[in-house]
Amino acid sequence: MTNSINEIEHSQVILVSGSNTVKTHPQVARRIFDAVDSGASLIVIDPRRSPLARHADVHLSIRSGSDIPLLNGMMRVILDENLADDAFVEMRTENYHALRDMLYRLDMDEIVALTGVSLDKISRAAKLYARAQNSVVCYCLGITQHICGTDNVQAIANLAMLTGNVEKENTGVDPLRGQNNVQGACDMGALPGVFPGYQSVADPEVRHRFERAWQVSLPKTAGLTVTEMTHAASDNPIKGMFVMGENPMLSDPALGLVRESFANLEFLAVADIFLSETAAVADVVFPAATFAEKEGTFTNTERRVQLVRQAIAPVGESRSDLDIITALSEKLGYPMPYASAAEVMEEIALLTPIYAGIFYDRLAPWGLQWPCFDREHGGTPFLHKYNFARGKGRFVPTSHKPPSEPTDAEYPFVLITGRSYHQYHTGTMSRKTPVFNRECPEGLLEIHPLDAKTYNIRAREMVRLSSRRGSIKVKVTLTKTVNPGSLFTTFHFAEAAVNELTVAARDPQAKCPELKVCAAKIEKLET
Amino acid sequence: MNNIYLPNSAIIKEVIDENEQIKTFVTVFRDEMFNRSFTYEPGQFMMVSIPGLGEAPISISSTPTRPGALHLSVRKAGSLTNAMHQLQAGDYLGLRGPYGRPFPLDIMGKDLLFVAGGIGLAPLCSVINYCLDQSGSHGKKIILYGSRRPSDIAFQSDITAWQKHSNVTCLLTVDQEEPGWSGSVGLVTSLLHNIDLNCDKSAALVCGPPVMIPPVLQQLKKNGFTDENIWTTMERYMKCGVGMCGHCHMEGEMVCVDGPVFNKAELNSLKLET
Amino acid sequence: MKTISKVLKKDHLKSLLRKLAKDRQLVAPVRNSYGDTLFTEIEALDGVEIDLDNQAQSSLKSFLFPQQQVLFEYSTDQGSAPVYKAIDSDGPTVFFGLRSCDLAAILYMDVIFLKEVKDPYYRQKRENNILISIGCNEPFSNCFCRQTKSGPFMEYGFDLQLTDLGDRFFVETGRAQGEEIIQQWAHFFSPASKEDEKAQYQMRLEAQGNFKRQVLVDLAIRKLKDDLVPEEVWSKLSSRCQDCGGCAYICPTCTCFTINDRKISTDSGERIRTWDACTFAGFTTMAGGHNPVDMKQNRMKRRFMHKLYYDVKSHNRTSCVGCGRCVDMCFGGVDIIKFINMVGQGEI
Repeated sequence: MTNSINEIEHSQVILVSGSNTVKTHPQVARRIFDAVDSGASLIVIDPRRSPLARHADVHLSIRSGSDIPLLNGMMRVILDENLADDAFVEMRTENYHALRDMLYRLDMDEIVALTGVSLDKISRAAKLYARAQNSVVCYCLGITQHICGTDNVQAIANLAMLTGNVEKENTGVDPLRGQNNVQGACDMGALPGVFPGYQSVADPEVRHRFERAWQVSLPKTAGLTVTEMTHAASDNPIKGMFVMGENPMLSDPALGLVRESFANLEFLAVADIFLSETAAVADVVFPAATFAEKEGTFTNTERRVQLVRQAIAPVGESRSDLDIITALSEKLGYPMPYASAAEVMEEIALLTPIYAGIFYDRLAPWGLQWPCFDREHGGTPFLHKYNFARGKGRFVPTSHKPPSEPTDAEYPFVLITGRSYHQYHTGTMSRKTPVFNRECPEGLLEIHPLDAKTYNIRAREMVRLSSRRGSIKVKVTLTKTVNPGSLFTTFHFAEAAVNELTVAARDPQAKCPELKVCAAKIEKLET
Repeated sequence: MNNIYLPNSAIIKEVIDENEQIKTFVTVFRDEMFNRSFTYEPGQFMMVSIPGLGEAPISISSTPTRPGALHLSVRKAGSLTNAMHQLQAGDYLGLRGPYGRPFPLDIMGKDLLFVAGGIGLAPLCSVINYCLDQSGSHGKKIILYGSRRPSDIAFQSDITAWQKHSNVTCLLTVDQEEPGWSGSVGLVTSLLHNIDLNCDKSAALVCGPPVMIPPVLQQLKKNGFTDENIWTTMERYMKCGVGMCGHCHMEGEMVCVDGPVFNKAELNSLKLET
Repeated sequence: MKTISKVLKKDHLKSLLRKLAKDRQLVAPVRNSYGDTLFTEIEALDGVEIDLDNQAQSSLKSFLFPQQQVLFEYSTDQGSAPVYKAIDSDGPTVFFGLRSCDLAAILYMDVIFLKEVKDPYYRQKRENNILISIGCNEPFSNCFCRQTKSGPFMEYGFDLQLTDLGDRFFVETGRAQGEEIIQQWAHFFSPASKEDEKAQYQMRLEAQGNFKRQVLVDLAIRKLKDDLVPEEVWSKLSSRCQDCGGCAYICPTCTCFTINDRKISTDSGERIRTWDACTFAGFTTMAGGHNPVDMKQNRMKRRFMHKLYYDVKSHNRTSCVGCGRCVDMCFGGVDIIKFINMVGQGEI
């Protein structure tokens, strides 16, 4: 997030795109509700009528995968209405002409056709967003989990820059990061092309700094992304894998490919707190300690590095992740004698400019928001103040890219996947909790009542849901949350694993899989 | 101190297959002294459990006038009841109870009309046999029982006995005919049209699936029954059975202790649409 | 019965607690190194900071009615009857530093767990405990106990009730055990003077006026009773509720629970009681899927009705004790204060 979570409360217009915020980021949703209570306007872009969409001033119920035409359409309205922030565009951005030329060539009728949203609604949303003193965009996986995910994000950035809605308090572009520490994992270089702090492996100066610290030579080129590894199938160049706290055998798309890739490994080790579907096929499983049994930090969606305090000693044979890694490293002939997590953080501060001022003794009670450049630095509540990190903000025009798998006569439905409130990811933890299982015992397929009628399907009936890659049996719930022609279900449940059906297609830049749209069909089961 | 949560072990003496969905477990407490002193009243229920699978409220279908064995009729619905259906004679169940407010004793001498559907006959079985076993009870008993199909008719042996009884009229109906069925077809409400009872001196006891209750109550009203003379038993999710866990809370009442037996006047005051 | 009034110098508080804790567990609000004030079981009095300046973030509920309580262990041997073994709970405890709302909440829990049928686990924990409460001269930011008639000072229920008079506490006795303490440890206490009594009276009077929030509880009760709360209020509130159950977990008088079995091995396990929340859909869903309280709107309505209407009807008092803890807890901003004020102001 470029902003802090609390800033959202003070925004005048909040545009939420591709985020079921109430279910997946309740603390952010609370700020949105508070903002709405104090008079802010809410725009929601979502193919589903999510709980948040019910509170929206404008709900743009787009066809899944048509974010770019919608955002371009909004920008065109902004130009036509003279609502662009010309001073901001002039002073702080570059390549504006390219964007403007693209926008003027747009055919608004085509946009209405592609998105399924009326011109009036697009226009209302655009004017609301552009006219406010401070507007904020929150987006989530509904933006990124498309083959055009990177372009979707670029389109959001274009919109924000065009209206000057960045680099001020309460104004910005906020990707809502998932889980407790996705942000922290990325910060620490758990990405194929960067060292900690987003420092490129290709930069010789950076590389030498890390080589000197670690006394090893480091690769100059980016490695593979997760789905490149788990979808390589029989061509898998990877022979051994160490998976920590992740369950790709249920969470990754196109599970058929994933299974094949894992089957082709010569060696698999998994560290997890429970025996997940992935751990079940591993050669070696390390029992990992839970959050309550270890020390360390989690970095949340607002870049806040927060202390994790150990509450109890690790239960049974389990050990902390740090312990597992250092022990393993020692066996492999590279001792890493860190006495504590705090000592690791000292090394991070040494090598990572955005974390340079972050030390354990500074983290109580509320942590620090990076970038934090030295011990005196108080952290950064919102990014790009006075200047973009890269200098000037660059407009990159983007254009519509249809989903990798269009619907057709055989697979007429658009299948969207997501999450529910009472289950967490692949359920390795939450499905072991009786109250969560009572609240959300099984995956439900959302279908519009009109579609259900066409197929003669009643509520709570089991149906077969198939795509070109696989099929599952799943129970149906009739709801107008989804539009006719769309289906929605969650991926928590191994016995109805929707990722058997999803596509392997990925965004070419970020390699993020297109989990939010694939073509599917439903069939009534014979009773 | 008496621990209300500790079950008593009971051994299953016999399992009666009532139909595909319903089995009756004839149970006897392991502790012989306890078994002899154990008593209950018609309309009450037991918390029944299998270690490792949990506990559920099950109404008692036997009558205290026939001591020695406790009958529990169980319909397959969730994981626990499905597991119970796997049990056989010789297996154990954990039981605690009896719990709940029973049917009031002062109506037992009256002319009684019983209207039941499916598993709903279980608690009424207890009352019917209780009444028939009381030597002083000469009132007329009319039993109307609806099932989905003829093969779904549960409590066959009781029904056979009732049909032979001079004081009892027992009429059956099914939703769907099957070959060989010569009885009536249709909803149980249809049987209510031509019953011969003096409503002022009688009471109606109703128990069945949620969809059955409203039309039956309407028809009873047309027949002339006052709300005070219509009795039913409520089914709710329960965990403790003793008015603490809160699950069966209903407009300020706890179904497990203030019910499960209510008359219609009481339900009206709870603003329940019935 | 006339209560004895005494004075205890603040300097001697810890010494007194040390005496009382000799043959009992001691639980008091402690500020920990993370800056949180929580009721904590104190092993050694030295080195802990008993915090009487901040409201403890959670009530004493979990000490008398634990979030998870093993009811019994079972073991099943092939062919023989299962064996059930009940779990004993711990010995006597002195609870120090509870506020009027916390005390009122315990009195409410007594009504639930110690009626004709008694909950053996609650009873064991509640028996032999000593309650030393402290009145609130300065109510905390979300407090409204005056309107729920459960504070800022209590008239009964405590063994000892303290009033902060600066360098000393004014001490009132309630239950018999309180008088026993005063007799047994007489040298800690001195008789309250006329000035002390006057000062205490003045404190109590001023406290009434120190509430920061106006919460129209009586008006809400009346409107609920007369069924004057429009459905829109419920639907608006429920559209914000995020189904987390936090309000019920943090609430000192929410006593609903569920019971589940946990297998330890194939032939042994435990039956466990866990806090539950009536705002969950699964709270009333029966096996097979039928739910008699199927809409979130109705579930939310039931919770507030329970707190402010049903309990007034059956126990003549609200089961909301005005502690305000749910206000900071609620993700959706649909806490009980919000509700009461929406009803009171006719705001929809």
